[in-house]
Amino acid sequence: MQANTNKAWLGVLPVVLLVAFSAVIPLMTVVNYSVQDIFDVQTRVFVGFDWYRETLRDPRFVDALLRQILFSSLILVIEIPLGIVLARGLPREGRLLPLLLVLLAVPLLIPWNVVGMIWQIFARPDIGLLGAAVNAAGFDYNFTGVVTDAWVTLIAMDVWHWTSLVTLLTFAGLTAIPGACYQAAMLDDASRWQVFWYVEFPRIRSVLVIAVLLRLMDSLMIYTEPFVLTGGGPGNATTFLSQYLTSMAVGQFDVGPAAAFSVLYFLVILLLCWLFYTSVMGSSKGPDPYDEDGL
Amino acid sequence: MNTTMRARWYVYAYCLYLLVPLYWLVNMSLRTRGDITAGLEVVPLNPTLGNFAEIFTNPVWFTALGNSLSYVVINTIISILVAVPAAYVFSRYRFLGDRQLFFWLLTNRMAPPAVFLLPFFQLYSAIGLFDTPLAVALAHCLFTVPLAVWILEGFISNVPVEIDEMARIDGHSFVFFFFRLFLPMIRGGIGVTVFFCFMFSWVELLLARTLTGSAAKPIAVVMTRTISASGIDWGVLAAAGVLTVLPGLVVVWFVRRHLVKGFAMGRV
Amino acid sequence: MARITLNGIQHRYPGAPDATLKGIDLVINDGEAHALLGGSGAGKTTLLNVLSGLSEAFAGEICFDSKVVRFGERRNVAQVFQFPVLYEGLDVRGNLEFALKNAGWKRGARHERVADIAAKLEIADLLNRRPKDLTLFQKQLVAIGKALVRPDIALVLLDEPLTAVAPATKWRLRVMLKRIQRSLGMTMIYVTHDQTEALTFADRISVMDAGAIIQTDTAQALYERPLHEHVGYFIGSPGMSFLNTRVQDNQLWLADTLLGSTDAAPGLYKLGFRPEWARIVPLNDDHDIVLTVERTRIEHSDRGVPFGLMNAVCDGERLHTRQQLNEVGSVTLPAQAALKIDIARCSLYRDGWRVDGLLGGLLDGHAVG
Repeated sequence: MQANTNKAWLGVLPVVLLVAFSAVIPLMTVVNYSVQDIFDVQTRVFVGFDWYRETLRDPRFVDALLRQILFSSLILVIEIPLGIVLARGLPREGRLLPLLLVLLAVPLLIPWNVVGMIWQIFARPDIGLLGAAVNAAGFDYNFTGVVTDAWVTLIAMDVWHWTSLVTLLTFAGLTAIPGACYQAAMLDDASRWQVFWYVEFPRIRSVLVIAVLLRLMDSLMIYTEPFVLTGGGPGNATTFLSQYLTSMAVGQFDVGPAAAFSVLYFLVILLLCWLFYTSVMGSSKGPDPYDEDGL
Repeated sequence: MNTTMRARWYVYAYCLYLLVPLYWLVNMSLRTRGDITAGLEVVPLNPTLGNFAEIFTNPVWFTALGNSLSYVVINTIISILVAVPAAYVFSRYRFLGDRQLFFWLLTNRMAPPAVFLLPFFQLYSAIGLFDTPLAVALAHCLFTVPLAVWILEGFISNVPVEIDEMARIDGHSFVFFFFRLFLPMIRGGIGVTVFFCFMFSWVELLLARTLTGSAAKPIAVVMTRTISASGIDWGVLAAAGVLTVLPGLVVVWFVRRHLVKGFAMGRV
Repeated sequence: MARITLNGIQHRYPGAPDATLKGIDLVINDGEAHALLGGSGAGKTTLLNVLSGLSEAFAGEICFDSKVVRFGERRNVAQVFQFPVLYEGLDVRGNLEFALKNAGWKRGARHERVADIAAKLEIADLLNRRPKDLTLFQKQLVAIGKALVRPDIALVLLDEPLTAVAPATKWRLRVMLKRIQRSLGMTMIYVTHDQTEALTFADRISVMDAGAIIQTDTAQALYERPLHEHVGYFIGSPGMSFLNTRVQDNQLWLADTLLGSTDAAPGLYKLGFRPEWARIVPLNDDHDIVLTVERTRIEHSDRGVPFGLMNAVCDGERLHTRQQLNEVGSVTLPAQAALKIDIARCSLYRDGWRVDGLLGGLLDGHAVG
């Protein structure tokens, strides 16, 4: 390692400038707005933390936040285990593998509003295969009218859209495990569950942390897909933080409250990611050796 | 092995789950508007390419596709250009505040686009970039640059430092070393980074929609304009959907061999 | 422990043009330390995988004692790999008793067995440590312990177990392995490309090349009667030297020089000899085998007399002798000298393979017999 600090800063300077331009200036603007009441370009009043207080007391913000946390928890609980199961089921070699990988990657490369549109025409009771099939099977299904149906559809769509990311990451971690580790476990008569818990899990831990972090932060930002699919409805049943914020900022031009909301929103994401990261990194103990004693 | 086969069937079942909505999209794209609203057809009875013909004869779609591709390409180029030297520095040098800087970069990946809508709109309007592909490209840098630095740092850290020292001992200039020796060595990493920059820029819509007016409108936005006074033309919409899936399919097909290796070697 | 019998084992990787194993026949006795020795690509690891049940042989059968074990069938085999394979999440004790737990052992019996094995490997003080806190050497010891812990193990496979260990500690690990193998009377198969490891560890060694076993024998027999030129080259340091010879009327000729008598059929042969079986001496008369000494290398000296290797070229062939180095006198190299061979110990080779036949030396320049 060299310590040529001057040259080092030269290397990161472009990134720092670029990110300063596209992140720091806007963020400063947001923070600035969040402590002012703006009537027009000339008339501004410093209001301190009033907007924050108001936002935290706003039941619609709290509801959106709770919905958001419920949604993110649900999709993590489904997508992470499902992604792992799929990654373990993928063949490690052969002609089929590239084909399966390409298929898995396809949903990741579809523009998000198109994802919403695909699921809309798939799930609509009148023209959609899924909607028509479910209704024909005797279930009353209408994702634009019934809250449960909207949530189920939304989660099915997110699983469709993002599980592949978990699968691909996990699969990459699995392929890096030497064959000898599996062979040793086989000779030890290890069960499939033991192979996962003792051989695979310790070696894909770090890649799983990345998968959970990416899914957590992206699910907390979800906007486009529910916007296209349900428009936040029925009622406000699928209105998450981004949608509520966008409706505030663009629809109503409530600059002050929207800015306070933005700052709180960003802090919530940072806090959740940080909580997850430190809790995982803090307890890097691995499985307990005596937890399944036969006695 | 029984359990292995069962796990394999889960994969096939999931692939079916992936394919059915896509199939339905293709199905819809091959049917006329009246045909679609008349009733369900699991296999299109009167398939037509009329919807695609309508798109290809309307110049709006082409302009929009050009707009989309130009901001994606500009974004990818900018991201790579600034991320490669930064990743090299983060991997090779220790300097005051390096970890904090790295972490701060990553936090930008956690920023919801919705938070930046208003300030971006004002910022790019103020400097006269509003409604240009460059504005969208710069806005997307907010997510792609931290990601690119992160991925590339992982790849560069896998290249032994001895290579750098050897080049110095051999008397090569830094410029020669960096461009002729070092960059070819992290080719794979750059490929993976391009893939991810392309991907995130191509699929994002909220910022792209907000920062463009009529001139630089991306293709994904034009799609929503098929909702006319007489209702939604599902057929044309589905055909447009099919066309937006294709670029992703092409990209992923080209990187299919490196996809897993890239995931494994880099950090993402 | 068991006696392992391999009958005509053949293996081919899918899509490969040649078989990786071309009919392996081998019997490994109960409690024997056996080594598979060969260069890379010889098929050692494939044979090991067939034995452990990882790969399927497309022909032939494997018997543990008298029981034929088919592919997919359970066999009590343990394996030590090139690098230490441990369960990173478990401590050393957890690793050692993993297989015992799966076999349904009770806690008390498990602890007793683990303590026993740990004592033998001198790792009793490491039992509560995590693999990440161990040195590579200690990790490999634990991996060996893991392989030995089940008493019902019929066969222990060791796949180049010293590869990852630092050179300075290789010797210690090998001695420990050998001692445990002796004291537990375990059947072990040790795969290596290092002849020193094979020769010091094993009771018998199978030398493999290109998917076949060329010779299975004790270290001494491999050294003295290699059945194939390849074994001659591979075993010994330096390997066997060869001269192009001719048999005619029961006489063995090197060009125009008579070397000795033989009962081999007339034809062209290679005469193989070990460095200890030949000496280079000053030229004496015209019956001498003339050669050019190119280099000498001293290996040790005894009361001021240097002993070591002499490297020479005779009739276009490179050869080595191990002898007293000042026998030729002090000359500047390269120098002309004569070769004396203990013909009776040598072997004749035709198309690579050793030919049975008696060889006799010369008496006063005339063939004996």
